[in-house]
Parts: sequence; structure tokens; C-alpha cells
Amino acid sequence: MSGKKPYDPFESIHKLSLLWEKQINDFIYHWTDNKDFIKMSNTGTEINSRYLEKFKKNQEALAGVLNLPTKNDIANVATLTVQAEEKIEALEEQIWDLQDTMKSQNKEIESVVEISKEIIKLTKQLKTELVKTKKEQIETKELKAELQEMKFELMKLTNFKEEFESIKGLLEKNKEVDRELAGSGTAK
Amino acid sequence: MATEAPFKGSIPEFDYQKEVDRWANVVKLLSEPEPKVGQTPRTEVWRKNKSVLWHYPAKQKKYEIPLFFVYSLFNKPYILDIDPKKSVIKNLTDMGYEVYLLDWGTPGYEDKKIGIDTYVEKYLKTAVKRALRHSEAEEITLVGYCLGGTIASIYASVAEEPIKNLIVATVPIDFSTFVGPEKWAEGLKNGDINLDHFLDIYGVVPSKYVEMMFRAIGSPIYFTNYTMLLNRAHDHRYVEKWRRMNKWTLDQVPFTGEAYKQFVNELVKGNKLVKGEFMVGKRAADLKNIRANLFVVSGSRDNLVLEEQSKPIMDLVSSEDKTYVCVESGHVGLALSGLFAGIVDQWASSRSNPLF
Repeated sequence: MSGKKPYDPFESIHKLSLLWEKQINDFIYHWTDNKDFIKMSNTGTEINSRYLEKFKKNQEALAGVLNLPTKNDIANVATLTVQAEEKIEALEEQIWDLQDTMKSQNKEIESVVEISKEIIKLTKQLKTELVKTKKEQIETKELKAELQEMKFELMKLTNFKEEFESIKGLLEKNKEVDRELAGSGTAK
Repeated sequence: MATEAPFKGSIPEFDYQKEVDRWANVVKLLSEPEPKVGQTPRTEVWRKNKSVLWHYPAKQKKYEIPLFFVYSLFNKPYILDIDPKKSVIKNLTDMGYEVYLLDWGTPGYEDKKIGIDTYVEKYLKTAVKRALRHSEAEEITLVGYCLGGTIASIYASVAEEPIKNLIVATVPIDFSTFVGPEKWAEGLKNGDINLDHFLDIYGVVPSKYVEMMFRAIGSPIYFTNYTMLLNRAHDHRYVEKWRRMNKWTLDQVPFTGEAYKQFVNELVKGNKLVKGEFMVGKRAADLKNIRANLFVVSGSRDNLVLEEQSKPIMDLVSSEDKTYVCVESGHVGLALSGLFAGIVDQWASSRSNPLF
């Protein structure tokens, strides 16, 4: 090996082509960068457009006579298809809205059901409480009756006590009378 | 007695293996079918006329807010997913983003009345709504590339949909700077060049004419891509890259007449986007209506959309969070190299509601 870089002809070709391309493009740039070229291009475009316009008009006229569809007819049909697509799209969006409303309503219903469940639970609790309270009320009534009875008994007892006291008083009086009688007996 | 070759030193040495590889690749290139593009798995979300909204699911979803790509009307959007190894879309889905791409499709003569405003109002708006519904996200990030960035900006200024972030790359906004010969710009502005009649008759600008227009602005004569290919044909990876790029470059899209008229008369000639006078339906697309976080990317070697054309958007919007970067890249290189995915991720990751 000589240590020299091997010869690559394509490298030189590429370098040369870059140079040529730049030179040609620069030339075209300067050649076209003027008012006359622009006016000429515009005129050329206009002539081309007018020629094509005439040609199209004639083609349309001929196709009309022969009842043949032209590209314009096909374009009109395509426009109808796009319009139909847009309508389907609008319907689809309305379905979305409905779905969204349904979803939100479902959520609301779910929350109402949840609340109802809570209410039922609460009602059951209240019912149980009520039964309990009724039971307690009956018990209280019974207690009241018992108390009344006790009160009555107490009243009886009080009467009895009073009677007893009066008997006791009478007995005391009797005793005193007896004592007095006994005293007077001894004095005689 | 040793004999020495008389011409030794004057005959150039060839690397024979390199030459064999070169010509083997050239033969392969000529005989093989076209390279496959757009290989990232995707599903169709919505279709209207020729436009399709594609969804590229995230490998492992890491961000709540999806990315919605809007590409130019001039070219096909598969440049964003051209090479499996360097695909912008694939890289982003690998990073954990849900990606949506609106492919405008190839318009025909029947679409001649579709203008930029129609594209915004009846296509982009609906597609964004569909993407939001499909992703179940509450907000979206719009990513516009080239003229797609202009369209995304127009839409963002009239949108009722929740756009959190707006990313625009190599985007032409201010058309007071014209790329191309000076007299052409003058002729366009003072009416010496008027294509209205031509557009009315043709209906759509044929794809070949679109290609010629770009050639005329950039370099009318272009053959160095072939000499470059010959020069580097020994490198298999370069040949593959060249084939994909060549396929995309030649795969231009026709431009609808109405959209072209609006582009030339209202955007280029009237500079109405900067003035806030471009109309979408009954609303003026005033960029100061944009309040989304804004990220603008320019290429320092971009000779099709200059920095001066992109940068003015920074002062025209009302966004509080806005970032401008100029990267070392050309107009297409940003997407072709896959570099764009990393740039988007760097900015969008903190603004896309990370999931964990």
C-alpha cells in the first residue's frame, strides 16, 4: 500500500456538478429576475388559461349535446358526497351530545339512587327507633300506672297512717282517761 | 533482476471493494421496488373527503395531553414517519405521547373550492374535536410544520377547542420577506403576476406545477442529488436515506385553486395574517387571540422559510409562555433526521401533564 487516498472519480464529478448547477441556477436567476420576463410569463399563463377555457367550454358544449358526463358533473356529485358526509358528521356530533347528556343524566340518576338508598336506610333506622320508642312508651305507661298504683297505695298508707295516728291519739287519750280514772280511784 | 512498472505512480489507485459496493447498490436501487414509508402502527379515527385523521398510540402512555400534527398542504406528511429508525412520530410514541396526524389527502378537481379557511373550519376543527373525543383528553397540543404551522396558527387564533400548547416549526407567518428573485416579489405585489384566471381554469394546481414552483424558487436546475448519490452509493445507509428522501421529494400534492389564491393573494400579497385580517368564516384570524403556550422552531440552514418569516409570531401572540429556538438544520432535515421529536419532547414534556 502506498498510503495514498484511493482515487474516487465520482467525488470530482460531484464537486464539478455542484459548481455547474450553481452557475446554471445563478444564470437563470439573473435571466428571470426582471420585469420583462415576469410580464412575458404572465402573458404566457394568461394565453394558456384562455386557450384552456375555450377548449373546456367547447368540450362542455359537446358533452352536453352527447349527454356525456364531464369532470364538472363528477365534481358536482363529489360535492354532494362531501355535503352528505358533513351532514352525517353533524348527526354524529348530535349523537355525541345525546350520549353526553345520557351519561350525565345516568350519573344524576345514580346519585339520586344513592341518596334514596341513604334515605331508605335512614327510614329503616327511624322505624326501628320508633318501634323502640313505642315499646318504651308502653313501658313508661306501665310504669306510670304502677306509679299511680304506688301513689294510690301511698295515699292509702297515708290515710292508714292518719287513721293509725288518730287511733294512737285516741289510745293515748284512753290511757290518760284510764290514768285519770285510776288516780281518782286511789284518792277516794 | 527486479523490474519496476514503468507507469507506477501515474495510474490512479482504485478502492475496488468500494466500487463493487457502489455499483451493487446502484443496481439494487434501480431494480428494487420503492422504499416503504409510514411504518409506525396507526389507526384511522376519522375520514372526510380525502382527509384522514390517524392515531398513533403511545408505546407506554406517559402524558395526558396528546400531540396533534398538522402538515403542509404542499407535500405528503409521511416525511414525519419516513424511516422507522428516524421517524419523528415513532420517536414521540416511544417517548410516551399519543400522536394524531391529519393527512389532508390528495385533492382533485372537485375540491377546487376548498380554501385555507375551509380547511381550517371544516377539516382541522372537526379533526381536533375528534382527536379530543378519541383521546378523552381535556386539552391538546397542536404541532404545525411548514405551511401546516401557518394553518395551525390560523386555527389556534379562532379555535373554541382547548389548545394548551402550540408548536410551529419552519413556519411562514410574515410574508413581507420573499424567498426568490426580487422582481418576482415586486411583480406579485403590484399585480404583474396574477394567477387568478389560471387557477379558476385549472381548478387545482397540478402536483408537477407545485414541484416546478419550488424548483423555480430554490434551484430550477437540480441534478446534484444524483451525483451525490453516485458519490456515496457505496454506503448502503446513505442509499436507503436517499431513496426515501427522493420518493418524498417527487411525491408532491396538488394544491386546490381556492387555497392557492388565498395563499398568494391574502397571505403573501396582503400579509393578512400579520395584520390580523385573514378571515375564517365570519371571524378574523388575529394571532393576538392565541393564548396557548407557544414554541417556535426555525432551521438556520432553511432556505425556503427564513427565520425572518417565522420569528414575528413571537410578538404577535398573547401567550405568556413562549419560546423560540433556531436549530442547525434545513427545511426538511428537521423532520427527515428525526431531530424534531427530541426538540418537541424537550419543550412539551413539562407542558403535557405527565402521568407519573
